[in-house]
Amino acid sequence: MISLNINNKTYSLEADADTPLLWVLRDIVGLVGTKYGCGVAQCGACVVHLNGEAVRSCVTKVSRAIGQKVVTIEGLSEKNDHPLQKAWLELDVAQCGYCQAGQIMAAAVLLKENKQPTDADIDIAMAGNICRCGTYLRIREAIHLAADIQQKSKKR
Amino acid sequence: MAKRYYWPKKAIFLITTLLIFMVIVMSAFDREVPYTKDDQTHDSIASVTAFTQVYKVLMSPRCMNCHPSGDVPLQGDDSHLHTMLPRRGKDGKGLYAMKCTNCHQPENTPGVRTPPGNANWHLPPADMKMVFQGKTAHELARQLVDPKRNGRKNMAQLIAHADDDLVLAGWNPGEGRTLPPISHAEFKKAWLTWIRNGAFAPAP
Amino acid sequence: MTHQKTPMNRRSFLKSSTLAGGGLMISFTWLSAFKYDDKLNESDLPQWNELNGYIKITSDNLIKIINPNPEFGQNVMTSFPMIVAEELDVDWEKIVVEMGPHDSVKLGPQFTGGSNSVRMYWKPLRQAGATARRMLMQAAAQTWSVPVEEVTTEAGMLYHKKSGKSGTYGQFASTASGIPVPKEIKLKDPKEFKIVRNSKKNVEGAKIVSGQPLFGLDYKHEGMLIAMIEHPPAFGMKLKSFDASQSLKMPGIKNVFRLELYPEGFEQGGFDTRTFNDLLVVLGNTTWEVMQARKKLVVTWEPKGDTVDTMGSRNGKKAVNVPGRLESTSAQLSEMKQYADKPAQQLRKDGDPETAFKNAAQIIERTYNAPFLAHNCLEPMNFFAHVTEEKALLVGPLQAPGWTEPTLSKILNLPAEKIEIQMTRMGGGFGRRAYGHYLVEAALISRQAKAPVKLVYSREDDMTYGIYRPMYTATYRAALDADKNLLALHIRGGGIPENAIHPNRFPAGAIDNYLAEGWQIPSNITIGAFRAPRSNFNAAAEQSFLDELAEAMGKDPIELRLELLKRAKENPVGKNNEYDADRYAGVLKLVKEKSGWNSPTDKKYKRGVAAYFCHNSYVAHVADMVERDGQPYVERVFSAVDCGIVVNPDAATNMVQGAVIDGIGNALYGELTHKEGAAVQKNFSQYRIIRFHEAPKKIEVHFVQNDIDPTGLGEPPFPPVFGAVANALYKSTGKRFYDQPFITKLNELSKS
Repeated sequence: MISLNINNKTYSLEADADTPLLWVLRDIVGLVGTKYGCGVAQCGACVVHLNGEAVRSCVTKVSRAIGQKVVTIEGLSEKNDHPLQKAWLELDVAQCGYCQAGQIMAAAVLLKENKQPTDADIDIAMAGNICRCGTYLRIREAIHLAADIQQKSKKR
Repeated sequence: MAKRYYWPKKAIFLITTLLIFMVIVMSAFDREVPYTKDDQTHDSIASVTAFTQVYKVLMSPRCMNCHPSGDVPLQGDDSHLHTMLPRRGKDGKGLYAMKCTNCHQPENTPGVRTPPGNANWHLPPADMKMVFQGKTAHELARQLVDPKRNGRKNMAQLIAHADDDLVLAGWNPGEGRTLPPISHAEFKKAWLTWIRNGAFAPAP
Repeated sequence: MTHQKTPMNRRSFLKSSTLAGGGLMISFTWLSAFKYDDKLNESDLPQWNELNGYIKITSDNLIKIINPNPEFGQNVMTSFPMIVAEELDVDWEKIVVEMGPHDSVKLGPQFTGGSNSVRMYWKPLRQAGATARRMLMQAAAQTWSVPVEEVTTEAGMLYHKKSGKSGTYGQFASTASGIPVPKEIKLKDPKEFKIVRNSKKNVEGAKIVSGQPLFGLDYKHEGMLIAMIEHPPAFGMKLKSFDASQSLKMPGIKNVFRLELYPEGFEQGGFDTRTFNDLLVVLGNTTWEVMQARKKLVVTWEPKGDTVDTMGSRNGKKAVNVPGRLESTSAQLSEMKQYADKPAQQLRKDGDPETAFKNAAQIIERTYNAPFLAHNCLEPMNFFAHVTEEKALLVGPLQAPGWTEPTLSKILNLPAEKIEIQMTRMGGGFGRRAYGHYLVEAALISRQAKAPVKLVYSREDDMTYGIYRPMYTATYRAALDADKNLLALHIRGGGIPENAIHPNRFPAGAIDNYLAEGWQIPSNITIGAFRAPRSNFNAAAEQSFLDELAEAMGKDPIELRLELLKRAKENPVGKNNEYDADRYAGVLKLVKEKSGWNSPTDKKYKRGVAAYFCHNSYVAHVADMVERDGQPYVERVFSAVDCGIVVNPDAATNMVQGAVIDGIGNALYGELTHKEGAAVQKNFSQYRIIRFHEAPKKIEVHFVQNDIDPTGLGEPPFPPVFGAVANALYKSTGKRFYDQPFITKLNELSKS
């Protein structure tokens, strides 16, 4: 039996300790917002937060997550109102949408550590996430917008 | 050894050459290096010879790729810039969503060209970059014994570094990657020979 | 106002009994709404009054619009309902949208591909909205006993101004659903559009950013098992024998068995392409367990030898020989080179090109090459199937249910009405998901396993078991006279296993002496549609050649194209020229203006231009390139697009921007090679996809404003990017690059 803290909920489940967190989330826990794209940490579709870091769940064994804090796209915000989620909707970033959960989860770590990222900062943070539809421009715009939203909500 | 060079002419010639060589080496050596002299006998030839082996290892992709001249690690047997361009960051552990251990797990990920692993995967920090890429043997040898440039390691720490977990990871690189040119045991032997004989730097 | 016949028959307007996907779906809903998420729960109530296949209204005025076409990011889940809502006259923010199941009677061709969605559905959807509105008006007129001509509508409400009567659509929906469909209907004049041409946000946006189940891989069904396929390691190989004893001992593994996809002599349709016919299936509880068990399989493969496929066509069955050899890229390239030097099948000839070349003062000849490309949809191929002896339920990502259903019906020996296909949102398509072999695989696995099954491809499966963009080559020759006038053009194109030549497209029609020829080399490597098939190569070769030609003729590259188009317009050569020279010239002029072509403000950019026509639309790009650390980057792009009426401008802009980025990525980096029949690139560590920092910082998209019915958009902006990149790269490096991906040659040069 493995006990995991995912999105502030405790899950007890049976899984081999070597199983990647991605497949535990998708096939066992039933949280499918975290996507499978490559399985080898190349595309970023599977990014989740492990103790606040944007780990790639496709190569992260579930054993690494035991006793740690896991946050998936489903738990990024309570009402889907994280500044990034708002900005993504405002700018209608998605095309097919498959990579976007991973993009948002990666961008969330950027915004947490850098409140007003420059274009160069965004390049550094986001170069690991592939968008096959090519929505990179809007992702960039949305991160800037989210930074503004974050800033404004702080001032209030 | 001594027997073979019994003939005076040859011996004189050799000793002279050796002295000249040593003078060059010593003059190039940073005298501030606080290595412990204790009762070691220093054989600069043995030291420099051993370093040739050490240098080959350090310049192999398995070591050099994480000691790049820029702030982006290198990747692959051809030491190209790591795709996705992850950055060193202040502590050498990456930046934002691109921290080393987000992909590099405590162990190698199975498969060809998948992220190799180590719990402590990182680059040298920004204030002590310990660059290997582009360095001559002379430059690298001097750098390695200079605590200002070697991660503040004294000789004992430098010796211990041969068995560092991340150094060892070079010999367990994951599928599809070439190993360093010699075994870890051979490397360690060369490393110790180099240091214990005075950590001499090859001529520039 | 335009009067329209309504081609839908009564059957397509019948009230439906069941529509839902069936089965037990865990938190998987086909409904979406831009706003009013709370309405989604209400929609579970079954009191829908169906006005036609696309429109359902509850008595409390909840309006549901059914989207017929599979969604793969082209945004039809939003743009289609916009078209319906426009004519129906409802408040956009109050509707809910539902993805329709496969039902060609009610919902039409349901084909996502060929940039066809809006083109095909523009009129049917408008008619659906307009006829439903008319039926609601008639219902109100009957109830109020007033002439229907005096009833007006606004945003889901009906009014009789004279009497002051009013009511919601919902109040009259039940009555309206019993009224015969009008035989003729007036559609709005484009000038009256209130929803169409105004940007609306993706109705599935909220689900996407919160990670709700949407995609095929997300679909779950009670008792569902996971299946994966072990396929031959190389094209030209087949399964000889296997030992699954170790795999079967692995945790969670249910079964391992051999699967034959199509029976011997099966008559294939054009989209029944399948890569391997003889497969090994591993079945288990979870994806990871199945992946692990695959590693324990002991399989022996053997050369397949030459085989024969049976293809169906209008003229009956046709046998197609498939060579058995194991192909390698280097050998393919040298074979293509040999073919390129021989005369080939004539596809079009105008004037006397032979004499023109004989008399030429100067001949410019260039050969262009492009590799196989893998679609690499970010969501790998997958499909859910639950097949019993009586019926089949299939759920997943698919572009062309109408083409796959007949195949399923034949192979499963089930009548079409017993096969239910539900399309999930697709994590990309690019043409790949028009080939439904993976549904057939899933269905056969489910039937053999006697269980609901989800078939999942790993990334490696997806990349090595592809239906690729073919490998192409083309030689362009131009004859110039002593005054640098263009006398003749000769194009000879070939490829594995098809050539890309569109003989009747520009610059055909603009040149007196013209010859187009084509050849092909058969292959066992499977190929299929890839975003703007053939055009995606032609635009690279032709537009790069025109640039070089302009330079040789001492002309500005845009001016040369405009001159040729002027000729094609005023005095066209030949009768069968597929393009409209005015619209073609229009996008070139627009991009020239918007990019400041004649007076570039920032000299750091090296510019390349290209234009192309396909899928009835016209696109021109100016790509501005910079060099950083010895690598070329397209940093800024200006795009001019003529695709007629743009339904959802912001989403259309997004799609053009995406096509530009996709084009840059494939032109510079995209390549799939083969060694001894096996795909060399197996994952994104080897197959380079354009990344964030490699994409332009700015892509300015300008649409030509006109009232022409919408033409294609998903594909047309893609091909000319290749040409614009090639031309910018020439300006940036001083060297012409003829072989894609350009980065390979560039890096070879910089090393030497």
